[in-house]
Amino acid sequence: MTWLNSHPLSFLVFAPTLLGLVLMALPQTMARLARMLGFMGALAFFVLSLAWLLGHGAGDVIERAPWFTLVGLPVDYALTVDGLNLWLVILTTFLVPLTMLGTWNSLKDRIGTFAALFLLLETGMLGALMAQDLFFFYLFWEAMLIPMYFMIGVWGGDERRYAANKFFLFTLSGSLLWLVALLYLANKAGGFNPLLMGQAASTLPFGVQSWLFIAFAVAFAIKVPLFPLHTWLPDAHVQAPTAGSVILAGVLLKLGGYGFIRFAIPMFPQAAMHYAKPIALLSVIAIIYGALVAMVQRDVKKLVAYSSVSHMGFVMLGLASFTVIGTQGAMLQMLNHGISTGALFLLVGMLYDRAHTRMIADFGGVAVKMPVFTTFFLIVTLSSIGLPLTNGFVGEFWILNGTFLSGFSWGRLYACLATSGVLLGAVYMLWMFKRVFWGPENKDEDSGTHHLHTDLNAREIAVMLPLVVLILWMGVHPRTFVAASETPVTALLKNAQAPAPRTFLLKPAVAAPAPEAHAPEANAGHAAEPAAHEVHR
Amino acid sequence: MNLSPSQWSALLPLLLPSVGACLIAIMSMDKDQVTEKWIRGVMYATALLAVGASFYYLTVLWNSGGQPSFFQLRMDRLAQFTGIFVLVASALTILQGWDHFHQEGWVKGETLCLLLFAVTGMMLFASTTHFVVLFLGLELFSLPLYALVGTVRLRPESSEGGMKYFLTGAVASSCFLMGGVLIYGLSGTLDLGTAAMLLRAQGLALDPLVLVGAALLLVGFLFKVSAVPFHQWTPDAYEASPHPIAGFMSVATKGVALIALLRIFGNSLTPLAGVGARMQSVVAVLAVATLVLGNLTALVQSNVKRMLAYSSISHAGYLLLGFVAGTPAAYTGVLYYLVIYLAMNMGAFGLLTAFGLVGDQITFDDLRGLGWKRPAMGIAAAIFMLSLAGIPPMGGFYGKYMIFRELVATGHVGMAILGVLASLVSAYYYLRFLVALYLQAPSAEAERLASDRPAVHAPFAGGTVLVCAAIVLAGGFLQTFLADGFARRALVDVAGLIR
Repeated sequence: MTWLNSHPLSFLVFAPTLLGLVLMALPQTMARLARMLGFMGALAFFVLSLAWLLGHGAGDVIERAPWFTLVGLPVDYALTVDGLNLWLVILTTFLVPLTMLGTWNSLKDRIGTFAALFLLLETGMLGALMAQDLFFFYLFWEAMLIPMYFMIGVWGGDERRYAANKFFLFTLSGSLLWLVALLYLANKAGGFNPLLMGQAASTLPFGVQSWLFIAFAVAFAIKVPLFPLHTWLPDAHVQAPTAGSVILAGVLLKLGGYGFIRFAIPMFPQAAMHYAKPIALLSVIAIIYGALVAMVQRDVKKLVAYSSVSHMGFVMLGLASFTVIGTQGAMLQMLNHGISTGALFLLVGMLYDRAHTRMIADFGGVAVKMPVFTTFFLIVTLSSIGLPLTNGFVGEFWILNGTFLSGFSWGRLYACLATSGVLLGAVYMLWMFKRVFWGPENKDEDSGTHHLHTDLNAREIAVMLPLVVLILWMGVHPRTFVAASETPVTALLKNAQAPAPRTFLLKPAVAAPAPEAHAPEANAGHAAEPAAHEVHR
Repeated sequence: MNLSPSQWSALLPLLLPSVGACLIAIMSMDKDQVTEKWIRGVMYATALLAVGASFYYLTVLWNSGGQPSFFQLRMDRLAQFTGIFVLVASALTILQGWDHFHQEGWVKGETLCLLLFAVTGMMLFASTTHFVVLFLGLELFSLPLYALVGTVRLRPESSEGGMKYFLTGAVASSCFLMGGVLIYGLSGTLDLGTAAMLLRAQGLALDPLVLVGAALLLVGFLFKVSAVPFHQWTPDAYEASPHPIAGFMSVATKGVALIALLRIFGNSLTPLAGVGARMQSVVAVLAVATLVLGNLTALVQSNVKRMLAYSSISHAGYLLLGFVAGTPAAYTGVLYYLVIYLAMNMGAFGLLTAFGLVGDQITFDDLRGLGWKRPAMGIAAAIFMLSLAGIPPMGGFYGKYMIFRELVATGHVGMAILGVLASLVSAYYYLRFLVALYLQAPSAEAERLASDRPAVHAPFAGGTVLVCAAIVLAGGFLQTFLADGFARRALVDVAGLIR
């Protein structure tokens, strides 16, 4: 127990792997037992993470020890949970058991192996979220690909091999080039400690810094995924089994944004500022393009996948605003997207399990057959659109607010353009909702609606309820989830801050028109307003 | 002639396998070996015993720190490292050979005898700077390997591959010989280290003839390493030879040639700095060509063995990149890479035996669905392929990491970028192996054929595969032990490399 007390993070990171290996060793005949064990274990990890990380009180949980020195470069075994990753860690431990429960009967064969891979993936994600040494981070970052590759490739849809290979090679291409940048910088810094590397980077000529930042940014942007590096995402999402999609959207994509906040921006503040405009431009393109493409999808899952591109565009826009409120909004938007899109994928999975189709045209009038399901779907849809009182609103509002007020010459224009993304989001989500759930019941014998016989059962309701509670909680009282990150984000932006938004202070009347649409309902946004003012002062 | 104990101890690691080889040669005259399993068993046990005894002796020597020598044969740390490396590879080969040759129905004692002679030759080759001894070692391991490639005479393509390998190999050997002769002729001494010093003293360091001589020597090494453009024999020879022999050649020949290259070009010829610099740029160009060509050609192979052959060519490229960096840490990285490469490549070729693939049934289609049928082998295969592709946390990643790190540190950032792009390309064809094992169901036709055939029984090959998988994983987690405790120590005592 003493070991556990001093190494809670090590336990959280590596216990899933140990359990996963045990499950993998179980024979095929005990697959159901393996699935149960995996779920119970994942649930236990969630409870422990809540108890340890939230019960810990203020301050960071840190584990650091020298690990090995190879070719003259020391590598640290460094795990930390602080304000930047606390909620992402909890989101991960929360989504894993929830997804296992939500997709309990979705897979028919090799369920034990699937549970084992899922747990291995949890180790990769938690390790990457917690690692504070870039080499250590890199190990988890790459190792994460392996279980996900098999999850998509073995249990996926018809095009699973193509999707799995594309996913693997896309991510690998970014991270391999990033490895060269890492090695270059580690050579200058004499180690992989992000602080030392950041200091070493600041002494380099600006051109070199820019190249290094680009290498970092591309690796992370592929994961996010930022337009135009997003093409792997729709394939991977559509082909992956439900559980894979949920985790992919819920956590893996977050790691890209997290990488920017944790490593790329603090290590190369000048270069990051220099490239704020192109990143913001790509984000805006991603927001609008993702929404437009989502609009024309005929497959619900693909629609949700493209909506991910759009929503993650908001995250990147918030980061590129280099304001406290925008960055805080990005942090919250990452959680939002994890919850809402995760829930959407789960719901689509539940629909698919019953109807064996995901085509919008195959449905119609589902609301009559599955009222409870429709209710949940509606709430999640509204949260995805960003309706006030749901989580989506707060995040997007802060991001747009931060961008608009950032003082960059492009800030206002991009904020306005991105706002149209919110509108388009409402269009594609509600249009899809109308075609699937409302209208007359689709009487066709082969249609999806015809195969819907049962509404959600208790297990599925138990999965959805916590998600809906979170959606509302985050919408009404987002402070719970962003209080922790306020200090680190403010500190982060000391070195990289958007030009002071003079217009805001001198001519507040000018700033008012753009958030006009939201301003009356901006109660939720007030939570972080003081922080924004503080920085501007 | 009376030998001192120290001389004996330098000679013993080489004597043991060669005595074993002679014994097996006598045993294999027994015609009953075709029918009597125990005779075959005794031959294999003898071979293992000879290899094991030599291995044991070398580890004792390694731990004691002794570095005896017998005239030009210097059993220093690097030579001991080579010995251990080659002996482990040959032990794995022997064990896999038992299963593979039984599957082929062609179990002959002479295979073992030739293998043990090759082992002796390899150890000789890597433990000297004297040109004649070097050449002796080269031929002593090359000739048995030519024969081993064509050993399964049942199959016509087997002799074809052996013949191709022999002809090209003979040309390379004669180049090597010519190079040595030129340097001998100019310097008047056969020891390459002394020759380099003499040549510099005479002001001949950049004499065209010296350059030609060094270049010809390099050709000999690069042929054995199977670097582009001396690689054409590799896919044909590997495809023709029995799986364990192909694995042995891919690992041991390449490893020994690289270690000898390290000893000669990285150390002995250092007085000829001008020559070294020119050779280094040649190696740089060839390493890049090897990486590009090896990886791109491997992409389009449908035969697993040819894919592995091109993959082994591309790995020669990574290893040569270590020579381009040319720092002590880079050489440590090369040796570390070799250790992991031994495990992953012997493991990959062992898998073919463990899956019972013989004859021309070695396409990706023949692997379909086997990962699920043989879970332990499947997981081992995943470990090997991910490690070959350089994905952490497997050992292969650290080998590449060390080499790339030194490339970046010495300012070869462009080459490092090329190297990582090459491993990106390589990931695709290694994934194909896993796709076949896990993501594709076997065709109905193959299922029917498989149910007709008796179940594959390859306990030894399976065992070696698991051992190799354990080594690859260990390389990913105990990297300092392997790199500092083993690879680096092999270099520490070789004068001029790491002081």
